[in-house]
Amino acid sequence: MNIVVCVKHAVDESELKADSAGKPQLQGALSKMSNFDRNAVEEAVKLKESRTGTVTVVSLGSGDWKKSIKEALAMGCDRAIAVNSGSALDALSTSYYLSRAVRRSGPVDLVVFSEGSSDTYQGLVAPMTAEWLKLPFLGYVRKLEVGDGRIRCELALEEGERVAEASLPAAISVVSEINSPRYPTLLQVMQASKKPMEEVSLDSLRDEEAPRGGVSVAEVQVVSVSRKRILFEGTPEESSRMLVDALKKEGLV
Amino acid sequence: MSDILSYSEDGGLALELSAGAAALAVASAGGACALVMDASAGAGSRGPVLVLRGDAPLAGDHELVAQAILAAAKTRGSSVVLIGATKLGRQVAGKLAVMAGMGVLSDVRDLKVEDGKLTGMRGVYAGRFNARLSSPLPCIALVPRGAYQATASGPAPEEELKVSVLPSRVRHLEERPKSKESVDLRTAKIIVAAGRGFKKKEDLALAEGLVEALGGVLGASRPLSSDLGWLGEERHVGLTGIYVRPNLYIAVGISGQLQHVAGMKDSRVIVAINRDKQAPIFQVADYGIVGDLYQVLPALMGVLRS
Repeated sequence: MNIVVCVKHAVDESELKADSAGKPQLQGALSKMSNFDRNAVEEAVKLKESRTGTVTVVSLGSGDWKKSIKEALAMGCDRAIAVNSGSALDALSTSYYLSRAVRRSGPVDLVVFSEGSSDTYQGLVAPMTAEWLKLPFLGYVRKLEVGDGRIRCELALEEGERVAEASLPAAISVVSEINSPRYPTLLQVMQASKKPMEEVSLDSLRDEEAPRGGVSVAEVQVVSVSRKRILFEGTPEESSRMLVDALKKEGLV
Repeated sequence: MSDILSYSEDGGLALELSAGAAALAVASAGGACALVMDASAGAGSRGPVLVLRGDAPLAGDHELVAQAILAAAKTRGSSVVLIGATKLGRQVAGKLAVMAGMGVLSDVRDLKVEDGKLTGMRGVYAGRFNARLSSPLPCIALVPRGAYQATASGPAPEEELKVSVLPSRVRHLEERPKSKESVDLRTAKIIVAAGRGFKKKEDLALAEGLVEALGGVLGASRPLSSDLGWLGEERHVGLTGIYVRPNLYIAVGISGQLQHVAGMKDSRVIVAINRDKQAPIFQVADYGIVGDLYQVLPALMGVLRS
């Protein structure tokens, strides 16, 4: 079974600072594999371990994005395609180039994504990539079963769970409760650097279907938190009384 | 003619979107049209309704819904398609975007059509920053709950469009609806949310006591609803759960990770109860009690009762 897992190297949103003008300081900001993508890698590697086959990790990014690829290789992926995007792309273009990279990886049975990235959490790249590849798509998978050329999934939807299936090849996005991602050992981290990684440019992937235009980010501004931050630190009874008084003044109790 | 189309499988959200489409249509001097896949769903829509019919039911399958919307967009001519930002909506938007070659503005509010572009605001980096996104027309916008107010209107003129779609490649085998507790945190005025500070499931009775005393609804941070499974997903407040903005939000035993804060930061008044004075939740709270929830909650309920 040949599996491709797509991961995003994303800015660590918890460490991101705003400059004096309220813009995010992206230069030199810490980046890491988007949290939820670790569950996608884990599921892909787990699937491979229970049968034969390979897992290819594909990541589109720039700068130090290969760090996330190396982490995925250390977690058990066999090889990698690193798509150098130069700068940030919108979801439609990102998914287009990912689909071309998936095709380049050879015959594939399953493409695995997480439900969304930790920085923008749009949940678009997965269904879009599936559509570019003309694959059936199952989103928000919390449990899965593969056999007889089919994948059967439990989907975590707003109104409950749904059991659905599709024939392989297919694409899926997984939610984080599907598994607990492994931590690679030091040895696995060292071995990861010996695994094959092919770097490709957008130019080498582009064909006549490439989308034009797209969504641009006009302005990013820090959200100012204007909270009162009043702390009560007395006995539980004292603090409770002061809190209830405050809430009364707010007209809430 | 170029219309602003709107669709959501979530009835309440669909009405909000039809109001949004009507507002955008005024600004862009076009028409608005609410798409429904089930004739009973259009009631209360703002402006005209287009009922889409296939050979088999369309609703609930993203492949069918996306194809039907594309057929409507081709028939009517559309500049913007508003789609409800639900899990199904994201999949519909993704497929439709590729089929039609349109960009998607996701999770946007404050939409504007100007100079042949659609712009909208969304939170990024777990809600710590806001971004203004822009896309040339025609395009798609995924719109969350609360971006528009559903406005009452008279009976809407209704038309029907027969669409022919390829069958879905996804087979839906079984639906397991949630237990009929029917909690909707999005409309709650007061929410008491429980986090990892609770040591065992039975202890949630304390939080429920406060919920009762205040006339609120019980919410939770992600660990309780997914990893531990103590409460259902319908109570999960956060980036990957439900986005809420009640008048009063009381976070009990919640440390305040960004992913949780992203779902509740727009509440009018935020209260935090946590034993760790350094917990980040106090940074986003109006009032905080530093203390052990096992002592604070009984004391608080005592004060509320007296």
